[in-house]
Amino acid sequence: MSQRNRLRSILTLVWLNGIVPIRDQPLYILNLLASPLSFLFFIGIVSRGALIAYGITGGMVLTMLSVGTGLQSDLTHYRVDLKFQDTVVASPVEAPVYVGGMALSEFVYSLPGLAVFVLLFVLARFATLESIVVLAGVLVLVWAFACALAFTLATYFRDVRETFLFSPLISLALTVLPPVYYPISSLPAWAQVAARFSPTTYAAALVQGSVGLAPLSAANAGIDWGVLIAFTVALFLIAALKARWKEP
Amino acid sequence: MSVAIRAQHLRKVYPKSPVGPAAIDDLSLEIPTGRVYGLIGRNGAGKTTFVRIAATQLEPTSGTVTVLGFNVQGEEREIRPRIACVPQESRPLYFLNVEEVVYLYLKLRGLDSTDAHRRTRDVLEELSLTEYRRRSVARLSGGLRRRAMCAMVLASDADVLFLDEPTTGLDPIARREVWEAIRRASREQRTILLTTHYLDEAEALSTRLALVERGRVMLEGTPADLRARVRYPYRVVIQGSYPREELEPLGRVSAIEGGYLVFAREAEAREIARRALERGVRLSMGPVSLEDIFLDVVGRSIESDGSSEEEEAETEA
Repeated sequence: MSQRNRLRSILTLVWLNGIVPIRDQPLYILNLLASPLSFLFFIGIVSRGALIAYGITGGMVLTMLSVGTGLQSDLTHYRVDLKFQDTVVASPVEAPVYVGGMALSEFVYSLPGLAVFVLLFVLARFATLESIVVLAGVLVLVWAFACALAFTLATYFRDVRETFLFSPLISLALTVLPPVYYPISSLPAWAQVAARFSPTTYAAALVQGSVGLAPLSAANAGIDWGVLIAFTVALFLIAALKARWKEP
Repeated sequence: MSVAIRAQHLRKVYPKSPVGPAAIDDLSLEIPTGRVYGLIGRNGAGKTTFVRIAATQLEPTSGTVTVLGFNVQGEEREIRPRIACVPQESRPLYFLNVEEVVYLYLKLRGLDSTDAHRRTRDVLEELSLTEYRRRSVARLSGGLRRRAMCAMVLASDADVLFLDEPTTGLDPIARREVWEAIRRASREQRTILLTTHYLDEAEALSTRLALVERGRVMLEGTPADLRARVRYPYRVVIQGSYPREELEPLGRVSAIEGGYLVFAREAEAREIARRALERGVRLSMGPVSLEDIFLDVVGRSIESDGSSEEEEAETEA
């Protein structure tokens, strides 16, 4: 497949899975916003507004993770129920093109939700050149590892119902337990150690540091970037080695 | 005659059932280029497993399959741009309309917009889908959804088409429209591997057929070859009173409503006809149907379920 055709395939998937469903059912946008805004509301009420800034930065990370959750469900539904993946396998479209196009389509799908949080980010006076660059980099990495994880898992699920089982667990492991919506210092010492096993801990530390919510030295920022990138590369390698494009 | 798909000593045992029966067991066959090849068999006979292996969707356990000269193991990148597949029980994405189902599939394969639009328009016309082109898949009947799936691959630029039970759920008129589109694709020198339950469909479309049972090819050839190779190539239907014991030595007799059905060789069939006419009994005589051949070779109707028997065998083991 030529580069031009690869691009055409990716854009077709973006249109097919990212734009047409919203055209067909605009309520999907509200669905995507529901979880991050619920967290923001809850954090804001419980902390009497003290942690609302964490809710805004955490909401952006959660929105990107929701892209992965959505991708996982879509890929499983398309593979198991509609046999769409089989149709694509028996075509010139390669696995990375399919995953890339589907991941990008979910990103496009999440844009209205992300726009709400960007607006809140600007209203909270967080938008500086440094914070925007950090935020963009972190969100791209979160999107990338969430999609790699989603693709790998989706090729193993036997039924779309299994995604209902795994999605809350993934959400718990990546957004609720790690300090995405609150400062890491709020956690007991043992939980701070456990949180270090989640890539979102590093993502949140970078975003929170860039907007001045938590102190972050240049050395620690370097470590956080390194670990976040390493997690992303590792999840891509696992996807390349373990995801099933052709069934065994 | 060039060969589009060649399978040699193919075997497939699914990983979850390593000691269970093989889905494909030492299957060898050659599918000529530019023809419609019918794969017939009961549910669970191994048809879909074979299609999935040849369409590079499933790994074989052993043996080889080549498509257009390329091995399905290791040369998938060469094969995939040249094939298209309607998987069994596949459905289009529900939020698309019929036109988008075909057009976006063609774009996904890398066709440019002009070509994709032209091919979409033509295939929708050919399969009488033009009036539904703006209708959402969610609002289509099962038959129309299946027709949209067929339209998708028939409009493609692929040289080899895999159609796994493409007309399931279609009404007789729609089936014939799909048949005509398949014939046209075949006239364009495209190779079509068709699996079907409908024996009339297999016979109407296929240049060659393979009858598959328990993962093996039981019989293979043109429809005429298949008839020539069964024990009893003629069927005689006798309507009226006739002594069964006179028929028994001449062929295989079964009672039907109001008479008998006899499968016989040509000389014996003529003899039955002669005697029946002497007795003034009504009869009809002709070559056996594909259904009769299937029954003769497999010992069961194609409608019976092969997979449940395998499961029973596993349970007994």
